Amino acid sequence: MTAICYGTWDGAVFDHRYEAADAGVVPALVDIEFFDKNNRVRAFFGDRGFFVFDPTVSLIDGLWRQMISAAEQSCGKCTPCRMGTILIRDALDALRRGERTLSLADIEVLADQMTATSMCGLGQTCARSLLAALRNFSDVIEAEIERGPQPEQNGMAYMTAPCIEACPSRVNVPRYIDYIRDGKPEHSLGVILQKYPMAATCGRVCVRFCEMACRRKLVDEAVGIKTLKRYVADQQQGSKALAFGRELISQPLGPNMRVAVVGAGPAGVSCAYHLLLHGYHVDILEALDEAGGMAKIGIPSYRLPKDVLRSETDIITELGGRFLFGRALGRDFTIDDLFSRGYRAVFLAIGCQQGTRLGVEGEDPKLSGYKSGIGFLLEVHDHVAGTTTSSIDGHVVVVGGGNVAMDCARSALRMGAEKVHIVYRRTRADMPADSEEIEAALAEGIEFHFLTNPVRVIAENGRITGVEVTDMRSTLPDASGRRGVEAVPGTERALPCSTLIAAIGQQVNKGTLSPEDGIKFDRWNCVAVNTDDLSTSRPGVFAGGDCASGPSTLIHAMANGLKASRSIDDWIRLGKVQFQPRARMREILNRNKMLATDAVEVPVKPQYRVHHPELDPEVRKQMFEEVEQTISAEQAYAESKRCMRCYRTYSVITERPISNGA
Amino acid sequence: MQVLDQVTADVAEFEAVINGKTVTALSGETILQCARRYGIYIPTLCELHDIDHTPGTCRVCLVDIHTRDGDKSHLATACTTPMQEGLEVQTRTPAVREMQRLQVELLMADHDQDCATCIRHGKCDLQDVAQFVGLRTNRFYNPERVAARPIDDSSPALIRNMQRCIRCQRCIAICRDGQGIDTLIQTGSGMDTAVGLRYGLTQKNSACVTCGQCVLVCPTGALGERDETDRALAMMYDPDLITVVQFAPAVRVGFGEEFGLPPGTNVEGQIITALRLLGADIVLDTNWGADLVIMEEGTELLHHLAERKRPTFSSCCPAWINFAERHYPDILPMLSTTKSPQQCVGTLAKTYLPQRMGIDPARIRVISIMPCIAKKDEAVRRQLTHDGVPEIDVVLTTREFARLLQRERIDLKRLEPSTFDNPYMSEYSGAGAIFGTTGGVMEAALRTMYYVVNGRELETVELEQLRGFEGVRSATVDLGGTIGQVKVAMCHGLKPTRQIVEAVRAGTADFDFIEIMACPGGCVDGGGTLRSKKAYLPYAMKRRETLFGIDKKRAVRQSHRNEQVQALYRDYLGKPNSEKAHELLHTYYTDRKIEMTQTVREIWADIKMNYKDY
Repeated sequence: MTAICYGTWDGAVFDHRYEAADAGVVPALVDIEFFDKNNRVRAFFGDRGFFVFDPTVSLIDGLWRQMISAAEQSCGKCTPCRMGTILIRDALDALRRGERTLSLADIEVLADQMTATSMCGLGQTCARSLLAALRNFSDVIEAEIERGPQPEQNGMAYMTAPCIEACPSRVNVPRYIDYIRDGKPEHSLGVILQKYPMAATCGRVCVRFCEMACRRKLVDEAVGIKTLKRYVADQQQGSKALAFGRELISQPLGPNMRVAVVGAGPAGVSCAYHLLLHGYHVDILEALDEAGGMAKIGIPSYRLPKDVLRSETDIITELGGRFLFGRALGRDFTIDDLFSRGYRAVFLAIGCQQGTRLGVEGEDPKLSGYKSGIGFLLEVHDHVAGTTTSSIDGHVVVVGGGNVAMDCARSALRMGAEKVHIVYRRTRADMPADSEEIEAALAEGIEFHFLTNPVRVIAENGRITGVEVTDMRSTLPDASGRRGVEAVPGTERALPCSTLIAAIGQQVNKGTLSPEDGIKFDRWNCVAVNTDDLSTSRPGVFAGGDCASGPSTLIHAMANGLKASRSIDDWIRLGKVQFQPRARMREILNRNKMLATDAVEVPVKPQYRVHHPELDPEVRKQMFEEVEQTISAEQAYAESKRCMRCYRTYSVITERPISNGA
Repeated sequence: MQVLDQVTADVAEFEAVINGKTVTALSGETILQCARRYGIYIPTLCELHDIDHTPGTCRVCLVDIHTRDGDKSHLATACTTPMQEGLEVQTRTPAVREMQRLQVELLMADHDQDCATCIRHGKCDLQDVAQFVGLRTNRFYNPERVAARPIDDSSPALIRNMQRCIRCQRCIAICRDGQGIDTLIQTGSGMDTAVGLRYGLTQKNSACVTCGQCVLVCPTGALGERDETDRALAMMYDPDLITVVQFAPAVRVGFGEEFGLPPGTNVEGQIITALRLLGADIVLDTNWGADLVIMEEGTELLHHLAERKRPTFSSCCPAWINFAERHYPDILPMLSTTKSPQQCVGTLAKTYLPQRMGIDPARIRVISIMPCIAKKDEAVRRQLTHDGVPEIDVVLTTREFARLLQRERIDLKRLEPSTFDNPYMSEYSGAGAIFGTTGGVMEAALRTMYYVVNGRELETVELEQLRGFEGVRSATVDLGGTIGQVKVAMCHGLKPTRQIVEAVRAGTADFDFIEIMACPGGCVDGGGTLRSKKAYLPYAMKRRETLFGIDKKRAVRQSHRNEQVQALYRDYLGKPNSEKAHELLHTYYTDRKIEMTQTVREIWADIKMNYKDY
């Protein structure tokens, strides 16, 4: 509950300047009064309006600060935003200094022009607070001008977009799309590489939270953000590849500044990458003899060719990092060992690779034909890598509804299965797998059994011969609105199969961490972390990726790697993890749902998205070569033009300076 | 763009309203397209319909719209906003007019205001729009902002003056989608937004091949040739110099419209008169050089055919030479070594001509008038300068020539035509005339090669099978004799050119002779031709037809029957491809490929420079 003094939001005007102090309580606003616990927010400026909490705030100064950010971020292509942001910024700056270059009426005309006629979200929204202030609180502004030069204020501005906020790694999506449109795919890749090194990998297998948030959906379809990412990342294969190398590290640190990363999966690689860029000496200890983690073993090569992943994990070596393969935590070393070897901090990115059992009668991992999802993908990986040969025949039943289940089913087909069934206890709409993955599996002839659940494993002479399943039905929604499912009595039947793959979930391998390591677990058997900074129960040890969150996505893992690298850098340099003002800004925006999914009011010409050229399902289901191909430059240009650049600027005025380089 | 086509494939009609009048709109069409069909003018700057370009950057084509279900009206850009059933559009409300005016004023805030010094003065889309919106003040103009914008004058041919750029991105579109060179990129951000060359290279050292198609679409004076009208004038007015002027096959059919004559009019005679008025001492015809090129290149090609060396690429287009040297140096050995007609005329104007006419070669200056910007590149190639003396001293584009006549107050339309009078280097055959259009070089070459192989002329000189207009055309022609069938291909525009070059390199193309013209349509639509406002290559077919008409009317239609060319061989060179011909009329090419590797560090530095809070 936040008490505001005056302001406007979505056209509604609040004015409690002449009322009792508690009159302006706006229940809709949550947790906005404090930026951090010692720093009060005096005013907030956004795309839909502004709130002033402290009547002594200088509006002119606050609006000027917001416009500085807009002018810095304006791409400069369209006329009103290019000139408008600068003219308004300079006019407000003059007013702030007690001078007057443009009249308030002129400023209003410019702000209106920019808002009404700019090409993208940046220009259309960055002057809305200003317009609202000029139209509703001109008396405040006039009074400020009357008083002369404005007092110095503290604060920060933050520009974002729905897709950026949706991305766990906060990749600046509109910018990297814009760079493609500009004809600079290498700059586009540069934007992605600021967040993680595995761009081509992400461009193939990301679950695309960004596309779910994309406002282009309000016109036709979401922009093919992942497709474009893959396009720019694939420029790295060939003569136009950008060079990495040690010169990228601006300030190399001394030889004692060493960090150990345990696990060479996406979280570990991402963390190591950022620490290396910060100048640290990083060793990645990996139990297997190659890098990539789940991206390597858990994603089949028809979706992510191994050489693509390899070229991206090699960036670590190019930056001077070391992979120490064949070293497993718990078997070959303990966390104490790491500290005693001189590592200043440890990042645990050990994943969770132990398959969760189905928990049904007759289930026994020792049965021939019984596999866990993750175990099966490992077999497939070794088969494709050529280290072992294995094959499957007869019918295969995969239990589960996530991407791992889809990967298992499509891989089983390629390994020679005669028929593949997917058994999932809820409906298709409930499936956590990507809809594209489900579509692809259907196209390849995989049979889905929705609202079906295994109840018993059938085996003869130690071999699986089938699985007994039952129909399920939805129950009434519970208090949280989610429907449960229950078995329909009397619908039990046998589904004959020679292979049963349980792909319903994973947990951290038992035996990796022992009580002496001093790392606490949560109730899901994952490493317990403080989600703000990824610190564990043991000082100097941080954890991220699947081992901290349970099985999750590549992009979450890489985002964790970045977050952990910042925490580790702070912890080593300062002995504590610093406050992150941008994270706090995001928290304010998200908790108050500031980024509205507002309608697209002016009609936009529909242009449907490009699709990857794909191999024919009849051909591809027999092979492990990549199914999707990179789009052409022409297609990339066309797709990039679909982005509407829904940038929004937010800024706060605070009581004290915002720490940690706002 | 393919995607777009699918959407607009089935066109439905529906009603909407523009300025109170009911209109029938077509599904998939924009407000601008619909308004234009109904003759309603909406000012535009960045949009260019002929190349399907609607970047929506200038924001001048503002209209007021009210959707059928909407509760209020909105401003929208007519070029990007689709028509909708029941949409009410107003193009001239006070708010719209005022915002259009302010938009142009904002556009002028960092725009070079020195219109009098601009090559586009009086022919500028921005000036037109400023007049339309009634611009009277320029409150935001700041010369410092103008000065901060870059000018790239590194190239001998093409000047890129960003102080006059309005960020319409038409040049990027034509380079990327039209020609497939894709070397122009958007650089900078905010006020620094400009168009630059890929990798930050200068115009001179970039992968640009100077085809000049970007100049044809530029709405202002931001892009243009290096203006050399003063140099040309100085030569013509210098009594100590003998100025020799030649003009290209395509110039005579793409010049009259500047003076109010119908597009495609042949003004050869008026140009000759104008040149003499200007003070040219000797007027030669590049068409004569074209006939000569056929003798040299045709002979070269017959040698290659005898040696089974294939394919041979034509070499008269300088943007094509730039393209091969910059992008595909591995194919350079396949290029004909014969110089272009311009250079053949230039070199002989300083050797053969003075010898025949008994004048001092040191006093000769050769000016050529070309529908081409890349000819300026060609003229300064070091292979084509001997002991410090260039074969060609000045190249004027068709546009510069128009500017020159206007400066000298010569109205072409009022001039009596005259004829060439030089007895050595001005006669031409119909074959030389059609050099200016796609397929013309091939047709001219085949006419002569047929004669050389068979000792008799082709029965039908017009080779209709070569005369299509597709980007890549191929044909099989029976030359008879020991040669038999030859497979030929003709390409115009660099996108089709890239396709055929890739096919040759991949070994999938089966051709003996390939004619390349870098500009779509060939020289008649060259990068040095007159600019058309709001249109791209509107007169291509008219100019082409006139060239074929000239061919038809010529008494001599084969290069080898050009008597002045025969005299050149008889009196001076010996025979085609003789040692002397090789010395004077052949050249070589060099690998000038641009290879760049960038580092992540450089890219990051550039991103951070543009966006400060990244």
